[in-house]
Amino acid sequence: MSNNWEMVIGLEVHAQLKTSSKLFSSSPNQFGSEPNENVNFIDSGMPGMLPVLNFGCIEMAIKTGYALNFKINKYSVFERKNYFYPDLPQGYQISQFEFPILSEGFINIDSGDNQKKIRIERAHLEQDAGKSIHDIDPKYSFIDLNRVGTPLLEIVSYPDLSSADEVINYMSSLRQLLMYIDVCDGNMQEGSLRADVNLSVRKKGQELGTRCEIKNLNSFKFIKQAIEYEFQRQINIIDGGGEIEQNTMLFDTSTGETRAMRSKEFSHDYRYFPDPDLLPVYLSQEQIDKIKPSVGELPQDKLNKYLDNYSLDKDIAKIIITEKQNANLFEKMISESNVKPKFIAAWLVGDIFAFIKENNLEVNSLNDKTKDITDLLRLISDDVISNKAGKEILPKVLNGEGKPSELVKVLGLEQVSDSGELEKIIDEALVGEEENILKFQGGSDRVLGYFVGKCLKATKGKGNPKLINKILLERLNKK
Amino acid sequence: MSDIDIKRISYLAKLKLPSEKEEFYSNSLKDIIKWVDNLKKVDTSKTEPLHNVTEKTVSIRNDEVSKSNCVDDVLSNAPERAQNFFKVPKVVE
Repeated sequence: MSNNWEMVIGLEVHAQLKTSSKLFSSSPNQFGSEPNENVNFIDSGMPGMLPVLNFGCIEMAIKTGYALNFKINKYSVFERKNYFYPDLPQGYQISQFEFPILSEGFINIDSGDNQKKIRIERAHLEQDAGKSIHDIDPKYSFIDLNRVGTPLLEIVSYPDLSSADEVINYMSSLRQLLMYIDVCDGNMQEGSLRADVNLSVRKKGQELGTRCEIKNLNSFKFIKQAIEYEFQRQINIIDGGGEIEQNTMLFDTSTGETRAMRSKEFSHDYRYFPDPDLLPVYLSQEQIDKIKPSVGELPQDKLNKYLDNYSLDKDIAKIIITEKQNANLFEKMISESNVKPKFIAAWLVGDIFAFIKENNLEVNSLNDKTKDITDLLRLISDDVISNKAGKEILPKVLNGEGKPSELVKVLGLEQVSDSGELEKIIDEALVGEEENILKFQGGSDRVLGYFVGKCLKATKGKGNPKLINKILLERLNKK
Repeated sequence: MSDIDIKRISYLAKLKLPSEKEEFYSNSLKDIIKWVDNLKKVDTSKTEPLHNVTEKTVSIRNDEVSKSNCVDDVLSNAPERAQNFFKVPKVVE
């Protein structure tokens, strides 16, 4: 009975920082290059080469500190974490251990209808390792060291998460924040953001159980699958009278199962010690303060602004703030026009996003079309054209086929808003409708819809429906 | 002084130790540790830990790229090379 069991989860998230160069060398920090193209003598671990710290990484760590409510430490130390692996030519990873650059942060995530505070123990800077490719040759591994030395920020949460959904919400909030402050590209497929999941189970209200760590999950789907599988695996062991062994697990994406990874003969011992090649990092309050303005508005700030200043519906506001580029596009349209933000928002999350999705575009690609879009929205909100005509013209505007006002003329979609002309059409439409007019006067609202439809048809769909409605009511009430 | 687990130490150091040498190296390491343990004679109960004697901060550089274009030099140390990859005996964990 898994009903009595609950899971306790802590996450270690590795975020690749979006710097131009690596953490300790000036090689390019770039995905997708030719094998070993971005490797110099520091990256390849040549004896006698000295690491020099990229201050851009410190700046990004400080920004993250502000965004995730961390204490930003003025004193931090790089240490060596020693282990052997072919994709780690130095024989050690330079990381931070006893004195990380960030400690004691938190973020709030959605959990059901409520918000939940997830505490974050620490975040530290470290080097990424290279890549081993096992599937080219049956007997050999191929090693590409391009990724060696790429700056990572490892963000370690407390075990405050208690369901797969919470983990997904936590991961996506982190991703959103890191992308907002422009320190990580958030591309999980390319490994820019990956998670190690620490999971244990316990009967509700009891002490923490023994945890297992599932390594290197790089998609929301796999994170969810791995958690659900591992939860059940641990319960089955305990229910069968067994005990959980503390283990490092791998998630097999083809079977959806977790399995133990490291050999258990000897436990790992990383023998951390301060890297003698690197002095401690001392930051002044001035250096830290200087970074603060670059943090900018965070998703929560934007959400509050959209609700309070623009009176958007919460669901719509949330869609817009999902990614910074959405919010940028939205705010650009507001600043460039006097169309009501609420009206812009409705069209943005409706037809405009649908167009982007259908044509597989980047949101950013519309940044140079905002003027045309708001011109079109102006025509709709001023009743120059109907909503329906707006929907017809929008894709043409987004495809750059012409200016909205020209398109309206060319396509003959201008609305008839001349009340004299409309009155004539309405009077004609009411001829011979005595029976229906009586029904209306008897209280049937459905007849009004019928009349509006008839008049619209007579204008070939170009009559302004609001105006038709108004004149019709006046006429009918007078009869 | 704690005992020396020479098997574990050789594993961590990735060194293969013939079994007849285990005792010899175990004793050598014990001697080294005994010598270092002399430091324990100093009373440090009132001393703050010192992580670095210079109290200078780390050297930094700006986030700028310089490409070395030295893939051939780097790969000249490879045990074997396949195109521009290092080729090593298969290691899968």
